[in-house]
Amino acid sequence: MKLYLYGIIDSSSQIKQSIYGLEGAGVYNIPFCDIGAAVSEICRPPQNITEDAVLEHEAIVEKLMADFTVLPVRFQTVIEGRDNLLSMMRGYYKDFKDNMERLHNKFEFSIKVIWPADKIKENIIKALKKDEQKKLDLDSSSGKRFMKEKFEKYKIDKEFDAKADKFIKVMDIFFSKFAAEKKNKKLKTENLLMDAVYLVEKDNERNFREAFEHVKSSRPDFKYLFSGPWPAYNFVVLSKKSCLPRDSEQADLFDKVTKDQILVGADSI
Amino acid sequence: MITNTIVETESPEEFIEEIEKAQDCLPKKIDANPKTVEKGLAKLVLTLIELIRKLLEKQAMRRVEAGSLSEEEIEKVGETLMKLENKMDELKGIFGLKDEELNLNLGPLGDLM
Amino acid sequence: MIALAHGHRTTSVGFQAEKVKMNNAVIKSKEITLLEILDRVLDKGVVISGDIVISVADVDLIYLGLKVLLSSVETIEKLRGSPFVGPMQEAR
Repeated sequence: MKLYLYGIIDSSSQIKQSIYGLEGAGVYNIPFCDIGAAVSEICRPPQNITEDAVLEHEAIVEKLMADFTVLPVRFQTVIEGRDNLLSMMRGYYKDFKDNMERLHNKFEFSIKVIWPADKIKENIIKALKKDEQKKLDLDSSSGKRFMKEKFEKYKIDKEFDAKADKFIKVMDIFFSKFAAEKKNKKLKTENLLMDAVYLVEKDNERNFREAFEHVKSSRPDFKYLFSGPWPAYNFVVLSKKSCLPRDSEQADLFDKVTKDQILVGADSI
Repeated sequence: MITNTIVETESPEEFIEEIEKAQDCLPKKIDANPKTVEKGLAKLVLTLIELIRKLLEKQAMRRVEAGSLSEEEIEKVGETLMKLENKMDELKGIFGLKDEELNLNLGPLGDLM
Repeated sequence: MIALAHGHRTTSVGFQAEKVKMNNAVIKSKEITLLEILDRVLDKGVVISGDIVISVADVDLIYLGLKVLLSSVETIEKLRGSPFVGPMQEAR
């Protein structure tokens, strides 16, 4: 019996809502201790990633979100047999419980900000030209010319990065006031200044939204994207130590590296 | 099927453009064709050389900024870095590799460069 | 306010220009919504691995699927939005 898994919920009771999943089958709860797995039975393993399948999956997770704390499961996760599902639950039980506690009553919101990178760089270049200290003479030798060019670019990039930090810091002060947790990717592209997700308590949603509107109106030359409430996709933390069969020793070594957070190389290049 | 979550923006096109640009460096499907394996090895080697080259360049910039290089040293370092950069461009050309391709995704650690 | 409504129909052939413009905006908003959803469901949340999981959504295929999916979304939407398509055909 193939079980399509939508999410882990903080309940061992039946799902009261009538939710229909893939192939029109009903979504029900397979309990394990005080939590459960929201699944539906499927006959054919999912083949393609289609728009409809993705939307359907997401809609179901959101319906569950209305009644439970949901740890959303990755798209097209199918487990063969109830026994396997229960042994998976056993292996991840502590992880799931820890997450339930942390994520209870909280939703994820996404804020993305686009800034005019070209204009910002133009202004930086203007400002740098003003207070240029002739560190390098205008020499005709190619080595020096190369270095001068590289150094100018280096200064611009450094200032660009510092400006990004500044803006993000200011905006974040407003957003994180109402957020329990947050994550941000700075400058994913030159124009995408901020790609952040915030974990917001249900009661703080309105305040959070107002904070966003405030920031948006105070800096109208930037562009904004706001989305949510989402199930806490980006805030599920699974420790790598699970009771599932490990592939090899190398996998353990890799885990040790990531857990100890050793940074590769010097700072970001 | 209606989802209740809202996605709000006045500039969907700009965000789509940036998001797709960011995803251009995603790992492609693994191909075990011998020709591509060879290209894959070249990619790996050149990626590592690029990493070192960029680190060296950055280090040099820091020293210029701190003023700890003499004029002669600036000239010498500049010449070397320039030659290295030109050589790399040549090698990239020979293997038909673009800058964006010379990167390694380290999973949870993010991208190498 | 852009809530994603699925399965809307384009019936009349009149007011073409406005419909195309509106459909363009609708297409783009649907695309951005889809991107937001895909970014989450494809490899965030609870990601379980191991022999007990039978899943076609392989990591490599996922990224490949993202591009393929987006281009198929555009094609499907263009067909749906087109005033020249007769009674709504599911473009599959």
